[in-house]
Amino acid sequence: MTDTSTTSEKGPQPILRARNVGKSFGGVHALRDVSIDVYAGEVHAIVGENGAGKSTFGKILGGAIPADSGSFELDGRTVTICNPIDAQQLGITIIFQELDLFPNLSVAENIAIRNLAYSDRLLVNRKRMAEFCLPMLKRVGLDVDPGTMLGDLHLGHQQLVAIARALSMNARVIVFDESTSSLSDEFVENLFQVIDLLRSEGIACIFISHKMEELFRISDRVTVLRDGEYVGSRPASELPQDELIGMMVGRKVSEQTRAESHAAGEVLFECTGLRTRRLHDISFTLHRGEVMGLAGLIGAGRGELGKALFGLTRIVGGQMSLESRPYLPRSPRHAIELGVGLVPRDRKTEGLMMQMSVRDNTTLASLSDLNALGLIRQREESTVVERVGTQTRLRASGAHAEVSSLSGGNQQKVLLGRWLLVEPKVYFFDDPTRGVDIGAKHDIYDLIEQQAARGKGVLFVSSELPELLRCCDRILVLNQGKQVALLQSDATSAEEILRYATSQASQAVAS
Amino acid sequence: MKSFVLRNRTLIQSSAGLLVIFVAAILLSPTDLRTDEVLFLKADNLTNMLRVSAPVAIIALGMTLVILTGGIDLSVGSTLAFCSVVAALGLSEWNLGIFAAILLAILAGGAVGLLNGSLIAWLKVQPFVITLASMIGVRGLTRWLSNNQNIQLRTAGEVAVRFFEFFSQKTVMIGLFVLLAAVFALLLSGTVFGRYVRALGDNAKASVYAGLPIKRVQIAVYTLTGLLAGLAGVLTCARTTTGNPNDGIAAELDVIAVVVIGGTSLAGGRGSIVGTVIGALIIAILVNILGLRNVGANEQLMLKAVIIVVAVVMQHQRTSS
Repeated sequence: MTDTSTTSEKGPQPILRARNVGKSFGGVHALRDVSIDVYAGEVHAIVGENGAGKSTFGKILGGAIPADSGSFELDGRTVTICNPIDAQQLGITIIFQELDLFPNLSVAENIAIRNLAYSDRLLVNRKRMAEFCLPMLKRVGLDVDPGTMLGDLHLGHQQLVAIARALSMNARVIVFDESTSSLSDEFVENLFQVIDLLRSEGIACIFISHKMEELFRISDRVTVLRDGEYVGSRPASELPQDELIGMMVGRKVSEQTRAESHAAGEVLFECTGLRTRRLHDISFTLHRGEVMGLAGLIGAGRGELGKALFGLTRIVGGQMSLESRPYLPRSPRHAIELGVGLVPRDRKTEGLMMQMSVRDNTTLASLSDLNALGLIRQREESTVVERVGTQTRLRASGAHAEVSSLSGGNQQKVLLGRWLLVEPKVYFFDDPTRGVDIGAKHDIYDLIEQQAARGKGVLFVSSELPELLRCCDRILVLNQGKQVALLQSDATSAEEILRYATSQASQAVAS
Repeated sequence: MKSFVLRNRTLIQSSAGLLVIFVAAILLSPTDLRTDEVLFLKADNLTNMLRVSAPVAIIALGMTLVILTGGIDLSVGSTLAFCSVVAALGLSEWNLGIFAAILLAILAGGAVGLLNGSLIAWLKVQPFVITLASMIGVRGLTRWLSNNQNIQLRTAGEVAVRFFEFFSQKTVMIGLFVLLAAVFALLLSGTVFGRYVRALGDNAKASVYAGLPIKRVQIAVYTLTGLLAGLAGVLTCARTTTGNPNDGIAAELDVIAVVVIGGTSLAGGRGSIVGTVIGALIIAILVNILGLRNVGANEQLMLKAVIIVVAVVMQHQRTSS
């Protein structure tokens, strides 16, 4: 792409240009050669499916993580952004989804602390702090006493404090990372009014989201990322929604088809009108040998459904049954006893014991099978670990290797191996292919299919639609805790799933 | 071979530390003026050294499990005094037989541990807070029970004399420690329970997801530690022929120091019984050689502090490299 900034119909130079930015995590590309121009006084939306790289891009801009390659220009000057201080000095601020504020400090302290524009360093002067903050709070339309404890404010108001803090450091570029995802409608509207105001003041707003209606409501220009790569930038007014979805999904999708189905007629698991604090009225049946995909955006309730099935969240209403018997787990331990297994989403914090060995991690949940009067039958354990390792095509230096020394894909295989040994009747795989390389992904697909072939029921969460279409018999789409569609995977498309997952008028009908 | 070294680098390092301090002790030890014998190496000195450190070392076995789960038990010093007083009262005033008195004292320790563990597991309060409370409360209970008086066994009759004569024997004290160390080493490395202890300390959240019996494991490790503190109380009572309600003050810190020097991480999940035995020996030798060289108790404390910091810094560098 050649330089376009000299063509004068675009008006002034872009305030910020990102050139060929790349970033990879453990060999997996999160961003590759992404170039984006951002102009003063525009709201620039960056969209893409989960894992497309949009949040990574935002974090790089904010200095939260360094880029591996590429360069940045601010006002035509090449700059480096290595850490949050660099970014702040350049006037770039990121408003994180999980706000990086201190809930036990006052609003004023939150704005003034570690603030490059606030001079008092040693002593706290409440009055001066308040004077420093008030103009910024006024600009974002937040009418609170600067002495209020931040944690006492509503989340939407806390976000405004974060914006006020950005303004106080003379921010010229503000990145909103999924800022609306945890807000109720009135606060979203409130936030948009503030963004409108910032735009009119000439501040460039980068708005990272995947909610269609919001994008079209607020943004001037839209840039689409897919699998970490730049797909294109368009003015929002010239971009029909269907075309945008097409850009997000890409063409490659329809080629991948479902492997052989193992679904039998017999109902294995049933869920009727299930409700929790975050789920509303979920109903489906899972047959023996069936793989059911769970699609939806982050926060749509896929993980929450797993927690409900695994006894980790309180069930408010509805019924579940397993093999025609009522199923109501009190804890994961109870759920496992009854025949449900869950492979958690975050293998490092919820799955593996990182300092323990492959062997210890593999057999951890099924030690009762190896128990002889409290002692572990060591020889049998080695055999079992060996067998499961072969089954999952694990590559490790040995059963005694610490799991922290393995690659992401192999760590995931250890975790899957643990659950294969438990032999539950119903599996819930919560995004098992997240952050693993392509080879391991295919091994995981094969494992899922093997389990289905053995008559297990599988619930499979994934953010990658091609994956769901390839592996699943049916796909349940969740949106804001509601079930919006139940689709046959051979009669649907990624576009259709994404439309259901991103629509905000969530009264769509389940089939 | 290489992976063996990597996996056991903490142990190898601790053993090296033990060797260094052992050699240093020989070099620094005064010699017998007549026979030119190294006093430190005399059998009598070595066994006495082990006997004196046995109570702390025994409690440290249980503390290793507690710390491996990511917890801490500050109440063991008070529990030691409590059980020592219970044993002494049982023998002198309550006229229990030897066996009944010992059993009662050890079970009293177990009861403190059971209470600690249950409160921690069910109330989900930090172990530090719960055991801090029981450290204070049990000390109060002990003083109340003994009327703040030392309970003397020498004047308490024939049964009591047989008790302390048996238990204060070096072979009994050292033998008990060796036996218990072997049992706990097996418990940690060879049993399902031991695997759960490590898993819980390594990643508590993942332990929930793996369906481990977390509450039972927590209750068990504190109860075991309480039982060991009870036994240590019985041994202390026998060695001093006294139930002293002010015994074991700050003993919990000595116990924790032993565990930490042995390479067990206070963050949980990493550590071993062998390491704790080594840690106990390091402290025992240090105290012994300083005593032989007539270094005052206050200087001893300062040197202990240095050893603790050096040991932990060395561990830290290992794990971060």
